[in-house]
Amino acid sequence: MESVVTGVNSVPAIQNATSHGAELKGGTWSDLYEQHASHVYYLALRTVGDPTLAEDITHDVFLKAFHNLDQFRGESSLRTWLYRVTINHCRNAQGAWHQRNIIGTDNVDVLDGPTANSETPLRVLEIKELGQRIRKTLDALPAEYGLLLLLVADEQLSYQEVASLTEQTADAVRGKLYRARRAFIVEFQKTG
Amino acid sequence: MNTKPSRSRLQHQQQQEQTLEQQITSQKQAGLEFASVEDMLRYDAGQVTPPPVIAERLKASLERERQTESGKSWWQRLFGK
Repeated sequence: MESVVTGVNSVPAIQNATSHGAELKGGTWSDLYEQHASHVYYLALRTVGDPTLAEDITHDVFLKAFHNLDQFRGESSLRTWLYRVTINHCRNAQGAWHQRNIIGTDNVDVLDGPTANSETPLRVLEIKELGQRIRKTLDALPAEYGLLLLLVADEQLSYQEVASLTEQTADAVRGKLYRARRAFIVEFQKTG
Repeated sequence: MNTKPSRSRLQHQQQQEQTLEQQITSQKQAGLEFASVEDMLRYDAGQVTPPPVIAERLKASLERERQTESGKSWWQRLFGK
Protein backbone atom coordinates (compact mmCIF):
# COMPACT_ATOMS: atom_id res chain seq x y z
CA MET A 1 0.00 0.00 0.00
CA GLU A 2 1.41 3.36 -1.01
CA SER A 3 0.99 6.19 1.44
CA VAL A 4 2.59 9.34 2.71
CA VAL A 5 4.39 7.51 5.47
CA THR A 6 5.17 4.45 3.39
CA GLY A 7 6.58 6.79 0.78
CA VAL A 8 9.49 7.04 3.15
CA ASN A 9 9.24 3.78 5.02
CA SER A 10 6.92 0.86 5.42
CA VAL A 11 3.68 0.90 7.36
CA PRO A 12 4.79 -1.98 9.61
CA ALA A 13 7.88 0.02 10.49
CA ILE A 14 5.71 2.87 11.69
CA GLN A 15 3.38 0.51 13.48
CA ASN A 16 6.22 -1.32 15.18
CA ALA A 17 7.81 1.95 16.07
CA THR A 18 4.84 3.06 18.16
CA SER A 19 5.57 2.52 21.80
CA HIS A 20 2.46 0.55 22.71
CA GLY A 21 2.05 -1.10 19.33
CA ALA A 22 -1.73 -1.02 19.58
CA GLU A 23 -3.79 -1.75 16.51
CA LEU A 24 -5.63 1.22 15.12
CA LYS A 25 -9.30 0.61 14.58
CA GLY A 26 -10.31 0.86 10.95
CA GLY A 27 -6.84 1.12 9.50
CA THR A 28 -3.17 1.57 10.06
CA TRP A 29 -1.12 4.37 11.56
CA SER A 30 -0.21 5.29 8.05
CA ASP A 31 -3.90 5.61 7.17
CA LEU A 32 -4.37 7.88 10.15
CA TYR A 33 -1.54 10.10 8.98
CA GLU A 34 -2.76 10.13 5.40
CA GLN A 35 -6.32 10.97 6.30
CA HIS A 36 -5.58 13.77 8.73
CA ALA A 37 -2.08 15.15 8.12
CA SER A 38 -3.09 17.71 5.52
CA HIS A 39 -5.88 19.05 7.77
CA VAL A 40 -3.67 19.21 10.84
CA TYR A 41 -0.84 20.86 8.88
CA TYR A 42 -3.17 23.38 7.27
CA LEU A 43 -4.74 24.38 10.59
CA ALA A 44 -1.29 24.76 12.13
CA LEU A 45 0.11 26.65 9.13
CA ARG A 46 -2.68 29.17 8.95
CA THR A 47 -2.83 29.54 12.73
CA VAL A 48 0.86 30.14 13.41
CA GLY A 49 1.76 31.44 9.96
CA ASP A 50 5.21 29.89 9.92
CA PRO A 51 5.73 26.75 7.75
CA THR A 52 8.62 25.49 9.90
CA LEU A 53 6.62 25.87 13.08
CA ALA A 54 3.62 24.24 11.40
CA GLU A 55 5.87 21.32 10.48
CA ASP A 56 7.03 20.96 14.08
CA ILE A 57 3.46 21.14 15.36
CA THR A 58 2.22 18.51 12.87
CA HIS A 59 5.09 16.21 13.81
CA ASP A 60 4.39 16.64 17.54
CA VAL A 61 0.63 16.17 17.12
CA PHE A 62 1.04 12.84 15.34
CA LEU A 63 3.73 11.68 17.71
CA LYS A 64 1.36 12.41 20.56
CA ALA A 65 -1.45 10.68 18.68
CA PHE A 66 0.66 7.55 18.16
CA HIS A 67 1.43 7.46 21.89
CA ASN A 68 -1.91 8.46 23.30
CA LEU A 69 -4.53 7.18 20.97
CA ASP A 70 -5.76 4.96 23.78
CA GLN A 71 -6.93 8.19 25.46
CA PHE A 72 -9.24 8.77 22.53
CA ARG A 73 -12.57 7.58 23.87
CA GLY A 74 -14.58 7.98 20.71
CA GLU A 75 -16.79 10.70 22.25
CA SER A 76 -15.76 12.96 19.40
CA SER A 77 -14.38 12.21 15.95
CA LEU A 78 -10.73 11.40 15.56
CA ARG A 79 -10.37 14.57 13.51
CA THR A 80 -11.73 16.62 16.43
CA TRP A 81 -9.36 14.90 18.83
CA LEU A 82 -6.38 15.67 16.57
CA TYR A 83 -7.55 19.26 16.13
CA ARG A 84 -7.75 19.67 19.90
CA VAL A 85 -4.14 18.57 20.24
CA THR A 86 -3.16 20.83 17.31
CA ILE A 87 -4.89 23.86 18.83
CA ASN A 88 -3.13 23.26 22.15
CA HIS A 89 0.23 22.99 20.40
CA CYS A 90 -0.45 26.16 18.42
CA ARG A 91 -1.39 27.99 21.61
CA ASN A 92 1.77 26.82 23.33
CA ALA A 93 3.80 27.86 20.30
CA GLN A 94 2.23 31.27 20.28
CA GLY A 95 2.56 31.91 24.00
CA ALA A 96 -0.39 33.35 25.83
CA TRP A 97 -2.57 33.20 22.75
CA HIS A 98 -5.79 32.54 24.57
CA GLN A 99 -5.45 35.41 27.02
CA ARG A 100 -4.57 37.88 24.31
CA ASN A 101 -7.06 36.93 21.71
CA ILE A 102 -10.21 35.40 23.12
CA ILE A 103 -13.20 37.58 22.27
CA GLY A 104 -15.85 37.94 24.93
CA THR A 105 -19.50 38.26 24.01
CA ASP A 106 -19.50 41.90 25.20
CA ASN A 107 -17.03 43.15 22.64
CA VAL A 108 -17.83 41.06 19.59
CA ASP A 109 -18.78 44.14 17.56
CA VAL A 110 -15.28 45.52 17.78
CA LEU A 111 -14.33 44.44 14.26
CA ASP A 112 -17.54 45.12 12.43
CA GLY A 113 -16.52 47.12 9.42
CA PRO A 114 -18.92 49.61 7.89
CA THR A 115 -18.82 47.91 4.49
CA ALA A 116 -18.59 44.35 5.74
CA ASN A 117 -21.11 42.04 4.20
CA SER A 118 -20.91 38.31 4.73
CA GLU A 119 -22.78 37.72 1.46
CA THR A 120 -20.14 39.46 -0.67
CA PRO A 121 -18.44 37.01 -3.02
CA LEU A 122 -14.68 36.95 -2.67
CA ARG A 123 -12.95 37.47 -5.97
CA VAL A 124 -9.33 36.51 -6.42
CA LEU A 125 -7.34 37.35 -9.51
CA GLU A 126 -3.94 36.04 -8.55
CA ILE A 127 -4.27 32.51 -7.24
CA LYS A 128 -0.55 32.37 -6.46
CA GLU A 129 -0.95 35.04 -3.81
CA LEU A 130 -4.08 33.58 -2.25
CA GLY A 131 -2.25 31.84 0.59
CA GLN A 132 -0.33 34.98 1.49
CA ARG A 133 -3.47 37.09 1.41
CA ILE A 134 -5.33 34.63 3.60
CA ARG A 135 -2.42 34.59 6.03
CA LYS A 136 -2.34 38.40 6.16
CA THR A 137 -6.09 38.48 6.67
CA LEU A 138 -6.00 35.94 9.48
CA ASP A 139 -3.14 37.88 11.08
CA ALA A 140 -5.30 40.97 11.15
CA LEU A 141 -8.19 39.17 12.86
CA PRO A 142 -8.42 38.14 16.50
CA ALA A 143 -7.03 34.60 16.61
CA GLU A 144 -10.36 33.25 17.79
CA TYR A 145 -12.12 34.48 14.65
CA GLY A 146 -9.45 32.90 12.49
CA LEU A 147 -9.67 29.62 14.35
CA LEU A 148 -13.46 29.53 14.06
CA LEU A 149 -13.29 30.10 10.31
CA LEU A 150 -10.60 27.49 9.80
CA LEU A 151 -12.53 24.91 11.80
CA VAL A 152 -15.89 25.61 10.18
CA ALA A 153 -14.25 25.37 6.75
CA ASP A 154 -13.59 21.71 7.52
CA GLU A 155 -16.86 20.15 6.43
CA GLN A 156 -16.24 17.11 8.59
CA LEU A 157 -16.80 19.14 11.75
CA SER A 158 -20.23 19.97 13.11
CA TYR A 159 -21.00 23.28 14.85
CA GLN A 160 -21.17 21.31 18.08
CA GLU A 161 -17.65 19.99 17.53
CA VAL A 162 -16.37 23.46 16.68
CA ALA A 163 -18.04 24.72 19.86
CA SER A 164 -16.38 22.00 21.87
CA LEU A 165 -12.97 22.73 20.35
CA THR A 166 -13.27 26.44 21.07
CA GLU A 167 -14.81 25.91 24.52
CA GLN A 168 -18.08 27.71 23.97
CA THR A 169 -21.67 27.01 23.03
CA ALA A 170 -22.80 26.31 19.48
CA ASP A 171 -24.92 29.51 19.64
CA ALA A 172 -21.87 31.55 20.58
CA VAL A 173 -20.02 29.98 17.65
CA ARG A 174 -22.80 30.97 15.25
CA GLY A 175 -22.84 34.56 16.50
CA LYS A 176 -19.08 34.96 16.39
CA LEU A 177 -18.85 33.21 13.05
CA TYR A 178 -21.13 35.76 11.47
CA ARG A 179 -18.87 38.55 12.69
CA ALA A 180 -15.74 36.60 11.83
CA ARG A 181 -16.88 36.24 8.20
CA ARG A 182 -17.60 39.94 7.92
CA ALA A 183 -14.30 40.89 9.50
CA PHE A 184 -12.46 38.46 7.23
CA ILE A 185 -14.01 39.94 4.09
CA VAL A 186 -13.13 43.49 5.13
CA GLU A 187 -9.55 42.55 5.96
CA PHE A 188 -9.19 40.36 2.87
CA GLN A 189 -10.24 43.21 0.60
CA LYS A 190 -7.50 45.35 2.15
CA THR A 191 -4.87 42.83 1.09
CA GLY A 192 -5.78 43.04 -2.62
CA MET B 1 2.94 39.19 -57.65
CA ASN B 2 -0.33 38.67 -55.90
CA THR B 3 -0.22 39.87 -52.31
CA LYS B 4 -3.79 38.97 -51.43
CA PRO B 5 -3.23 35.53 -49.96
CA SER B 6 -0.37 36.68 -47.74
CA ARG B 7 -2.36 39.70 -46.54
CA SER B 8 -5.25 37.46 -45.72
CA ARG B 9 -2.95 35.07 -43.90
CA LEU B 10 -1.52 37.99 -41.94
CA GLN B 11 -4.98 39.21 -41.03
CA HIS B 12 -5.95 35.72 -39.96
CA GLN B 13 -2.82 35.41 -37.85
CA GLN B 14 -3.46 38.80 -36.26
CA GLN B 15 -7.02 37.79 -35.50
CA GLN B 16 -5.88 34.57 -33.90
CA GLU B 17 -3.32 36.42 -31.77
CA GLN B 18 -5.95 38.95 -30.75
CA THR B 19 -8.38 36.20 -29.75
CA LEU B 20 -5.71 34.42 -27.74
CA GLU B 21 -4.77 37.66 -26.02
CA GLN B 22 -8.42 38.33 -25.20
CA GLN B 23 -8.80 34.84 -23.82
CA ILE B 24 -5.76 35.23 -21.58
CA THR B 25 -6.93 38.65 -20.40
CA SER B 26 -10.42 37.42 -19.63
CA GLN B 27 -9.00 34.41 -17.78
CA LYS B 28 -6.79 36.72 -15.73
CA GLN B 29 -9.69 39.04 -15.03
CA ALA B 30 -12.03 36.21 -14.13
CA GLY B 31 -9.69 34.65 -11.56
CA LEU B 32 -11.64 32.76 -8.98
CA GLU B 33 -14.75 33.76 -7.16
CA PHE B 34 -15.70 32.23 -3.84
CA ALA B 35 -19.21 32.38 -2.51
CA SER B 36 -18.06 32.32 1.10
CA VAL B 37 -15.02 32.64 3.30
CA GLU B 38 -15.24 28.93 4.06
CA ASP B 39 -15.19 28.10 0.33
CA MET B 40 -12.04 30.15 -0.06
CA LEU B 41 -10.37 28.49 2.92
CA ARG B 42 -11.32 25.05 1.61
CA TYR B 43 -9.78 25.91 -1.74
CA ASP B 44 -6.66 27.21 -0.01
CA ALA B 45 -6.45 24.06 2.11
CA GLY B 46 -6.62 21.99 -1.08
CA GLN B 47 -3.54 23.79 -2.38
CA VAL B 48 -1.48 23.09 0.73
CA THR B 49 0.31 19.77 1.09
CA PRO B 50 2.21 18.80 4.22
CA PRO B 51 5.93 18.60 3.42
CA PRO B 52 7.10 14.95 3.15
CA VAL B 53 9.80 15.75 5.69
CA ILE B 54 7.16 15.55 8.45
CA ALA B 55 6.55 11.86 7.76
CA GLU B 56 10.30 11.26 7.67
CA ARG B 57 10.81 13.03 11.00
CA LEU B 58 7.90 11.17 12.50
CA LYS B 59 9.34 7.86 11.44
CA ALA B 60 12.76 8.78 12.80
CA SER B 61 11.27 9.91 16.13
CA LEU B 62 9.29 6.69 16.51
CA GLU B 63 12.31 4.56 15.66
CA ARG B 64 14.47 6.45 18.12
CA GLU B 65 11.90 5.89 20.83
CA ARG B 66 11.63 2.20 19.96
CA GLN B 67 15.40 1.81 20.22
CA THR B 68 15.40 3.56 23.58
CA GLU B 69 12.55 1.34 24.69
CA SER B 70 14.25 -1.87 23.57
CA GLY B 71 17.43 -0.82 25.37
CA LYS B 72 15.59 -0.88 28.70
CA SER B 73 15.67 -3.87 30.99
CA TRP B 74 12.49 -5.93 31.46
CA TRP B 75 11.67 -4.31 34.81
CA GLN B 76 12.11 -0.77 33.36
CA ARG B 77 9.71 -1.63 30.55
CA LEU B 78 7.29 -3.26 32.97
CA PHE B 79 7.19 -0.27 35.33
CA GLY B 80 7.52 2.28 32.56
CA LYS B 81 10.82 3.70 33.81
